[in-house]
Amino acid sequence: MTAPAARREEMLPQRKSRNAFALPSVGFIAPAVLLAGIVLYLPFLYTTYISFTDYNGLGDPEWVGLANYVQMFSDPGLVNSLVNTLYWVAGTIILPVGLGLFLAVLSHGLPGATFFRLPFLIPYALSGVAVGVIWSFVLQTNGALSQIVGFFGADAPRWLLDAPLNTFVMIVASSWQGAGVNALLFGIGLQSIPKEPLEAAKVDGASGFTMFRTMTWPMLAPLTTVVVGLSIVGSLKTFDIVWGMTKGGPGGVSETLALTMYKETFITNDYGLGAAVAVFLTVVTVLASVLYLRRQLAPERSV
Amino acid sequence: MTTISTSPPVARRRPFSMSVLLRQILLAVMGLIWLLPVYLLLANASKRPEVFGDYSIWQFGDLGGLVSNMADAWGRGRLSLGILSTALYAISGPALAVIIGAAAGFAIVALRLRNGFFWFVLIFASTIFPLQMILMPLFIGYAQTGLYNSRVGMILVYTVIAVPFSAFVMRNFFSGIAHQVFEAAVMDGASAWRIFWRIYLPMSAPALVAIFILQATFIWNDLLLGLTLSQSETVRPVIAALSALQSTYGGSAMSTVLAGGLLVSLPTVVLFLATQRAFTRGLSLGQF
Repeated sequence: MTAPAARREEMLPQRKSRNAFALPSVGFIAPAVLLAGIVLYLPFLYTTYISFTDYNGLGDPEWVGLANYVQMFSDPGLVNSLVNTLYWVAGTIILPVGLGLFLAVLSHGLPGATFFRLPFLIPYALSGVAVGVIWSFVLQTNGALSQIVGFFGADAPRWLLDAPLNTFVMIVASSWQGAGVNALLFGIGLQSIPKEPLEAAKVDGASGFTMFRTMTWPMLAPLTTVVVGLSIVGSLKTFDIVWGMTKGGPGGVSETLALTMYKETFITNDYGLGAAVAVFLTVVTVLASVLYLRRQLAPERSV
Repeated sequence: MTTISTSPPVARRRPFSMSVLLRQILLAVMGLIWLLPVYLLLANASKRPEVFGDYSIWQFGDLGGLVSNMADAWGRGRLSLGILSTALYAISGPALAVIIGAAAGFAIVALRLRNGFFWFVLIFASTIFPLQMILMPLFIGYAQTGLYNSRVGMILVYTVIAVPFSAFVMRNFFSGIAHQVFEAAVMDGASAWRIFWRIYLPMSAPALVAIFILQATFIWNDLLLGLTLSQSETVRPVIAALSALQSTYGGSAMSTVLAGGLLVSLPTVVLFLATQRAFTRGLSLGQF
């Protein structure tokens, strides 16, 4: 609903050719633009420049053209990080978004819904590091989960040591944290759906899943777009929880692009290579957002 | 687009039915599964380190153990040193960002800034950059300007990080306020500044609160910026201290680390749960 509203606002004819508030309007937007420009855009441009140089933080950056990018793409470790990052994107769309929707639909209009949603919200307020601490405790060798599996007489896998299993269990941990807030957002969306069409459909004999598929889901679409969009952008940048649980290990097998970038820059001190990974990650994120939003907000589909 | 639903969700004429009970049971079971890791956190944070190995991980220690472990993390773990700074960042950062974001929304929607949508996209698009992308230049820039390892520097970066989201929500929120409100105030001779502070900001309290809570939680829990831009224990945010605690203590004093994790999470958990309703209301008014 955001974009069409914005478009309409732009199409409004200017009532006066000269806006009496032209000067104040510049003054009111200036702080936001200046701060974003200096603290976010300027560093972004600098990183882009550094990605074409050889630089270790001391001395001057030396221009090397595309060397960092060549090195990056010929490194099997990067492919591995890319694959892990894609796991994160796919997993984050399926698990926390799907679970959030499920919980919201399940608790919508239910007596005591606020109370029933509470357990799912607690994890959201925990820090990624605290979540990492709890879950490494759950998943460590002979930890809580292994004991549960052992109780049923099976051999527990090495949750955090084998790839890609370690990435999958970390996605589960992050879903544990993120599902509640998605449920909250979907709950807001469900509340804002007008009741009349639903009542009409009920009179026509629709119920249960059919009702959800044909009525609720389409009307929830604008919100789903926002939630899925946020999830894509967020999951591409996954850092905290992996850093807290495996530090990308063992041997880099659970690294995401964000972790690779951080390690190259601040641990290996190869600023140029780290910057190249950062630029690559940004390009992927921007491409994903644009593709996704174009598909979802195409004019003929505007809701 | 503002949709204010007038009827509360629960107040439906729905007779007691099997399906309601089934849904409640399903939610309760899932809720218990969800609380299991929280239980493990509590249970193991409450065991005294010296007898940690004697217990099964499913057993609860004792309340005294929980308190002494927390005290240990607080004192010897040095969490106490960063807590005041963290509170300062988590309050002043979002507070400033909310005002700056609201001012941007006000300029675009009420004052009809020329090419307002372009400026809006420019501000909002900066959330797409991975935080990691700006870390290294920020680190260099901070080192050169003396902002490195200073409270001012930390407040600056946390404010800027929160600006795009507040501009996003506030622009949408202000779109829901009829422009006649603005025109009427202009007729009465009010200046743009006055209209902003006296009419638009007070009208948008729910949205401001929602943004504030969300961003305060985010800043309180931030690890990456704290790790990169600060060093001394009194400037460095508490989550970075917790992370350090985790790597230095390792497995030997797991209960201290868990108690520390619990301790630093308490403020955000309490804030978030206590304000859940206001939060939901603010976002539902603001975003859709």
